[in-house]
Amino acid sequence: MTATKVNTIQARYRRTGLYLLIPAIAVLLLVFAYPIGRSFWLSLFDQNLGTGLEPVFAGLNNYDRIIGDGRFWQSFWVTTRFTVITVVLELILGMGIALVLNQAFRGRNVVRTIAILPWALPTALIALGWTWIFNDQYGIANDILLRLGLIQEGINWLGDPLTATVALIVADVWKTTPFISILLLAGLQSIPGDLYEAYALEGASAWQSFYRITLPLLMPQVIIAILFRFAQAFGIFDLVQVMTGGGPGGATEVVSLYIYATAMRYLDFGYSAAMVVVTFLLLIVAVVICTVLISRYRSRTRE
Amino acid sequence: MKLLFFLKRILTKYWLRSRLFYRLTLLILFVISAALVIVPVLSQPVTLRLLMTAPDVPPWNRVMVKAFEAQNPGIRLQIVEGPNATNLIEDLYTSAFLLGDSPYDLINMDVIWTPKFAAAGWLVDLTDEFSQEELSVFSAPDVEGGKYQDRLYRLPIRSDAGMLYYRRDLLEQAGYQPPKTFEELVKISKDLQEKGLVRWGYLWQGRQYEGAAAMFVEVLKGFGAFWVNPDTLEVGLDQPAAIQAVKFLQSTIQEGISPPGVTTYMEEDTRRIFQSGEAAFLRSWPYVWPLANAEGSPIQGKVGIMPMIGAEGNTGGSCLGGWGLGISKTTKHPKEALKAIRFLTSQAPQKEFVLEAGYVPSRKSLFTDPVIVAKYSYYPQFFQVVQKAVLRPPIAQYAQASDILQRYLSAALTNQMTAEQAMQNAARETRLLLEAGRTRRG
Repeated sequence: MTATKVNTIQARYRRTGLYLLIPAIAVLLLVFAYPIGRSFWLSLFDQNLGTGLEPVFAGLNNYDRIIGDGRFWQSFWVTTRFTVITVVLELILGMGIALVLNQAFRGRNVVRTIAILPWALPTALIALGWTWIFNDQYGIANDILLRLGLIQEGINWLGDPLTATVALIVADVWKTTPFISILLLAGLQSIPGDLYEAYALEGASAWQSFYRITLPLLMPQVIIAILFRFAQAFGIFDLVQVMTGGGPGGATEVVSLYIYATAMRYLDFGYSAAMVVVTFLLLIVAVVICTVLISRYRSRTRE
Repeated sequence: MKLLFFLKRILTKYWLRSRLFYRLTLLILFVISAALVIVPVLSQPVTLRLLMTAPDVPPWNRVMVKAFEAQNPGIRLQIVEGPNATNLIEDLYTSAFLLGDSPYDLINMDVIWTPKFAAAGWLVDLTDEFSQEELSVFSAPDVEGGKYQDRLYRLPIRSDAGMLYYRRDLLEQAGYQPPKTFEELVKISKDLQEKGLVRWGYLWQGRQYEGAAAMFVEVLKGFGAFWVNPDTLEVGLDQPAAIQAVKFLQSTIQEGISPPGVTTYMEEDTRRIFQSGEAAFLRSWPYVWPLANAEGSPIQGKVGIMPMIGAEGNTGGSCLGGWGLGISKTTKHPKEALKAIRFLTSQAPQKEFVLEAGYVPSRKSLFTDPVIVAKYSYYPQFFQVVQKAVLRPPIAQYAQASDILQRYLSAALTNQMTAEQAMQNAARETRLLLEAGRTRRG
């Protein structure tokens, strides 16, 4: 008798909880599920200039086109390369900065505020600044290298596939490292100091305590930072659009730039939707693989 | 006196209190207040807007807008300044139309935008507005460039065509006639280079951009090949003649006739080298002529021009460029817009415009007009070039097809792919692209 009563109270609580969740779920469906579903639906149609911008059912034809589209796979590779390099660099640098900012020193708050500035500025503006820094005639980058005697004549940074990629990576690392360092700093501050003290009493070096205490306890923040940055870097648009526009010769064209061109310049809406879906699915696959690897690593370290 | 008093009494007692009076007063007041709003709106001049690259705007305002507004007091022509890059102007027009309510009534269109804008249904069909006689005064390829699937959407206002510049003095010195084929051009170039008369033979634009597509259209024509047949949507890029065309361009670099940097050059890079006297031949647009012959130019008066040549046994063809006016489908003033197009493309304003800005006209008679020839002696020669101009394929998905070609052409020219590989890939991707648009046509 009492048991059933408890159950009904519990059930009632649960039901109330569900009711309270409905608005949130509705918003999620509206802003996430609907656009994704709509993109998927649109990707099954030809809607382009050849069809007078009217949707004509085409089945999986658009996906067939993607398989044979060298430009898509090139831009996919360019994006992947850009993402992996920037995220790794930002993680290493961000970790270093976070460790420094975690130390007690005079004016720490001022330094912390300054360190977040690049992240707070609008990307398009920063990209314009970097474009001038890497300008082949008047750029500071060339000027410094020339004065140091490292090069004899100015490098046309944004005009060569390799140097343009380097320039983009430098600009992005400069801009988003602060974000990672702030995230990691928050994690660092939640690690109790007595852990280090106890470990030091046992005779551990600084490197050992970083490797044995800081890194494992910081793992959740690191994973969040990686996931955040991974998703963001993969969708990068503004920085590349302003700095190189995808050039020279498509060498820095990222996926979002190609999708934008397909929709807005070529007016090939069905095909661009299909590219969105493919990129989306490939991203999910990458994230799933990452999570599986991480959880395996974790269960192994626990044993 | 009594009568007046009587009338007044009737007015106050019956008339002023009557319903009729009440209603009449209301009606009169309503009409007056409405007129106060409507009359100023009606008498306000209609404003026609169009968007253009900023450097084009001052000559337009000085000549076209002034002349038009003087003759049409009720219509104002407002030219909006856009960024100085035509692809950005195209993007701005595109987003304006995609959003539905375009702020532009007239569209100043590059020849390659016309099929896209027409296929998207953003342009007013002008076919029935202009008779054959009216169109026959324009140079024929320019009119053709304003058509999409046999309907007219654009009236030409300015011509442009690729041409071959050569150093008359050097050719005379070595005893040559201007070349008639690519083979002769190669032979003359080599000879002039061996004699030490000039450093480079032939300059063309090989960077990955629209200019390279325009240049390649001429070489394709010169080898009797084609890119896309607009009627059947057949792709000809992987046919032997097209591969020959790529190999010809590759050979000019390999044999040292063209500088290796030609694969990164745009128009201005090639003009600077040519103008400094370092090359015998140059493929470019009409704008080079006044600059090459300007005061202080090292090659002033030493340059000749001719239409683009072809390979042995083929006639060459120049690539058509140029601008024209169309009407936006969302305009609220189609009649006024049509009036504006008629006026702006008519003889007198265009003549004044050509004299002021140095553009190449679209009306045939202006090429030989005495006043214009007195100022620009070379225009009759331009006429020959424009008459032999070939269009880039007028297909709706031109921008996409051009990007595919540019990528693979660039890959072949920079030796990342063989000519065969590059053209087969380009052809395959172009076919996939056109296939996706063919569904509706059935």
